[in-house]
Amino acid sequence: MTIEKRPNATADKTAPSQAPNVPVIERSPGPKLPGPPGVPGTERFRLLAYVKQESMVRVDKRPDETVLTWPHLLRPEFLMACLIAVLLIVASVFINAPLEDMAHPYVTPHVAKAPWYFLGLQEMLSYFNATVIGAFFPFVYFIGLALIAYVDRSPYKAVRDRKTAWVFFLCIMVGGVIVTLLGAFFRGPGWNWVWPWQGIYFTL
Amino acid sequence: MTLPGPGDVVRYVKESGLWRSLFRQPYPTTSRTRALAVMNNVFLHLHPVRVKKHAVRYTYTFCLGGISFFLFLMLTVTGVYLMFFYVPSVARAYQDIISIENAVAFGQLTRNMHRWAAHLMVLTVFLHMIRVFYHGAYKPPREFNWTIGVLLLFSTLWLSFTGYLLPWDQIAFWAITVGTNMATYAPFLSRESSFWLLGGITVDQGTLIRFYVMHVIAFPLIAAILMVVHFWRIRKDGGISGPV
Amino acid sequence: MSQLPTYGEVHGPPIGEMTRRTFMRRLIGWGVGLLSLEFLAGTFAFTWPNVRGGLGGKVVLGSATDIVGASPDWATGQPYSYQKARIFLVNVPAGEALVDGKTDNVPDPKKNVLALYRKCPHLGCQIPQLCDKSHWFECLCHGSKYTILGEKRAGPAPRGMDRFPFTIENGIYVVDTGKLEDGPPIGTETFDKRTIDQMPHCAA
Repeated sequence: MTIEKRPNATADKTAPSQAPNVPVIERSPGPKLPGPPGVPGTERFRLLAYVKQESMVRVDKRPDETVLTWPHLLRPEFLMACLIAVLLIVASVFINAPLEDMAHPYVTPHVAKAPWYFLGLQEMLSYFNATVIGAFFPFVYFIGLALIAYVDRSPYKAVRDRKTAWVFFLCIMVGGVIVTLLGAFFRGPGWNWVWPWQGIYFTL
Repeated sequence: MTLPGPGDVVRYVKESGLWRSLFRQPYPTTSRTRALAVMNNVFLHLHPVRVKKHAVRYTYTFCLGGISFFLFLMLTVTGVYLMFFYVPSVARAYQDIISIENAVAFGQLTRNMHRWAAHLMVLTVFLHMIRVFYHGAYKPPREFNWTIGVLLLFSTLWLSFTGYLLPWDQIAFWAITVGTNMATYAPFLSRESSFWLLGGITVDQGTLIRFYVMHVIAFPLIAAILMVVHFWRIRKDGGISGPV
Repeated sequence: MSQLPTYGEVHGPPIGEMTRRTFMRRLIGWGVGLLSLEFLAGTFAFTWPNVRGGLGGKVVLGSATDIVGASPDWATGQPYSYQKARIFLVNVPAGEALVDGKTDNVPDPKKNVLALYRKCPHLGCQIPQLCDKSHWFECLCHGSKYTILGEKRAGPAPRGMDRFPFTIENGIYVVDTGKLEDGPPIGTETFDKRTIDQMPHCAA
């Protein structure tokens, strides 16, 4: 793939056979002419750029490892979009968004919960020191997430080659799910423990 | 004299100057024209002409990033619709939600779609992050794009959180009160940051307009800019990551 | 075509000194950086809340007679809830007498009152009226419990109830809601040393 020497433009035009180490570049037919019959894999494409292997853009693909975006990527994208749209519309027809009484700043309801994605944090606030959990933890969580890519320098991608990283990440994620579920379904009035079969105190 | 059939009409339209100014080529059926279609259309140009075979497998990506982006688009559309009937004022907001639900055609449906799509988007963005971590797809040369992704996760959470207040009902009011009070545990500048966040000492009109502006324009713009960078970097970092 | 003059050994800049071009470039760079910082600071300044009146300013409660007129129980120790300032005005001698069960012969509060902010220092819920069973303030949201003097006894709150400074001008109570003071730290026990185990629960 790496081409050492850029072919001389004039030589290429007049006599391509004179430069044996340069691939033959077929000029694309003009836009007015009909294209050749499309037999996948037999067409030749215009050479747009030379990309060296060691450049920023990793070119480690051979032609047979790729498929055309149209239709092979656009079709699944379209189908998935349709599926999500249909699911969402059907769900919205049957399940109404919650709406309670108008906000009353002087009347705290018996159950006051943050949105579900903060419920894990709220649950942990009832166990640990407030400054650590309420401020320090979310800060470290986000900064840590953002820096994962710069901290984890191991070149391996497969899970079996980086078990520590994966177990660590999984623990954080599963822990997050557990405390969120606890906060959502096991906490009732006064943030007291309730079992889900005693009542669900959770609104989306 | 025979009347022109539907085929003649289609041919006439497709041969007209207007049609050909819109579409430079016929419907792509060959590899060459399909490649050109992706290359020449600004929206399809988001993709490269060819993609790796494994990248189009549902079970590799589960389409999570794409679903998140699609939900963002849906939320933008339904959100614009809702804005026609919503005034961010303590006196009116709740009544406007009631009237959207009861008096506006498809109002309840639009509000439901907006709400469920928002919750779903938070979920898919999280799952997308876990998927990317699982495949080690944040490894060089994609480190920066991972960071952009974390910023997008933060934007998504913040968009959802600011939107949570807007119906101005008891759920909204106390969820935001409880949520923003977590910020007061910061070891320094806690009072100031909460004051700035809420636009006052407690959740009130100042908070409502503040959250509204962040929800409908500031953070959608920020998220859109981040998404442009995110998608661009996927291509520039060598396409979607390889299989494990 | 004559050769353009270039930096030679003779005309080149001495090592360690910058050229005019580098100087200008850095000047522009630092200028743009400074401007961005100013823009950021300006954004914060512009978006700083513009609070007019209400909570955040000075709130006039009236004289002790006015308060007893509005809420006769205040003389016998029940905290007076004044929603405009979101406070409980606690008549300290009467309150202590109420908790001790000696409601007769209550001394005059004079300056011995407390303006307790009704926002729970835990997560900001509105603290309801004094519980009749325990004579404690019991937050419904997450179960923080405070004595009548706002000292924390139980629950997840990081400190006692916050309070506002107040002045008495010609017998009129004026609360300055712009200056919130942190509540007493956990472990402060000036009065009412009962523990949670001895208490009947108020919140369901």
